[in-house]
Amino acid sequence: MEIKGSVALVTGGGNGIGEAVVKYLSSRGAKVAVVDMVQKNIDRVVAEVKAAGGEAVGIQANVTSEADTARYIKGTIEAFGQLNIAVSCAGIIRDGTMLSLDKETGKVSKKLDFAKWQAVIDTNLSGTFLTMRDAAEAMVNGGWEGLLVPISSVNKVGQVGQINYSSAKVADALMPKIIVGEFLMRGIRKIRCVAIAPGYTATPMLTGMNQDALKAILEDVHLGRLVAPEEIASLIGYIVENQALNATTIEITGGLCYPKGIAK
Amino acid sequence: MKKILYNDMQFSVEPSGDRWDITYTLPNNATAVVAAGLFAGLPESEAGARALALIKTIFPVGIKSVGPDVLHPNTIGDLKIVGPDVTHPNFIYWDKDSVSCPKAL
Ligand SMILES: NC(=O)c1ccc[n+]([C@@H]2O[C@H](COP(=O)([O-])OP(=O)(O)OC[C@H]3O[C@@H](n4cnc5c(N)ncnc54)[C@H](O)[C@@H]3O)[C@@H](O)[C@H]2O)c1
Repeated sequence: MEIKGSVALVTGGGNGIGEAVVKYLSSRGAKVAVVDMVQKNIDRVVAEVKAAGGEAVGIQANVTSEADTARYIKGTIEAFGQLNIAVSCAGIIRDGTMLSLDKETGKVSKKLDFAKWQAVIDTNLSGTFLTMRDAAEAMVNGGWEGLLVPISSVNKVGQVGQINYSSAKVADALMPKIIVGEFLMRGIRKIRCVAIAPGYTATPMLTGMNQDALKAILEDVHLGRLVAPEEIASLIGYIVENQALNATTIEITGGLCYPKGIAK
Repeated sequence: MKKILYNDMQFSVEPSGDRWDITYTLPNNATAVVAAGLFAGLPESEAGARALALIKTIFPVGIKSVGPDVLHPNTIGDLKIVGPDVTHPNFIYWDKDSVSCPKAL
């Protein structure tokens, strides 16, 4: 599939990786829908796309809402006449260990809030499911060629302090196998699904963190720096154009290793 | 520039070269973007009609966004978006005018 002339929808397109994907696809001739919860970020990204000569529609929405999902899929098609690429970048973290102990008594002093579990599962898993499901529905019914891109994470392997996040991301990473298998079963041949599992990426969330913690993270990255959001965006661009990539999850981490050099 | 008052919201459809930008006015009088660089080469009347169709889809009658306080430094945690009223007869599929949206539109 060619990027030029295609229509892409990017959730979480107002910041970080999603913003980079919006700008990359737009700079190569795609028309783009920027879906995000934060209007001021939508305004900024759409204005920058416009300044670079691109075409964009911004839709403020919450990816965890089924009604909102229907609204931004329909809005994209209303604006651009079709939908070919859906990238699900909207995501959050709410870290914490499942149990914390009181140092003196050794008894449980705190449990991970259920609200923290639910918020991450809702956004990172259910939100991704809704976008993939409804984008695929529109692509099938419209007869358009398509690509679905759930965003997983290298922490799908199981990161301590992230039982909610890792659980959602391992499920996101499985989606391409299931979705493409079902497409084959149902005779849906024109739509592919490839997930991306980024490693530590230089989005505002990470670059703004404690610099010592960041240094410690980078010691385990073979590349010696954070992955740039633009590098993830260009990988997605490559996937759009390479039809043989399908039903898989691609890691892009710069060579993230466990301490002592075992690749994660 | 074409002004559209729809569902008590003020939208503008403005030319930008041979394309069209759509913006709307927030309750605090700030301007938010709906779309930029759309409908290349269309005359104002057609661009206005396409813009209205797009606005009706993105902002179906019955939807209500409370906040977000976009100036708050902590944007995610403090956001509050009340989901659309999915039981509203005009939600998503526009087949009936609301009280605040005259038929003339
Ligand atoms: N940054 C990293 O190191 C990293 C690593 C691996 C995976 N990821 C994944 O990549 C994706 C993007 O991460 P990022 O670092 O760019 O994050 P980010 O915080 O910079 O951007 C996420 C965007 O999603 C939006 N968003 C959040 N919840 C939403 C909701 N319910 N509805 C609509 N929009 C919503 C936010 O407003 C924000 O603009 C996430 O899924 C994240 O888990 C990031």
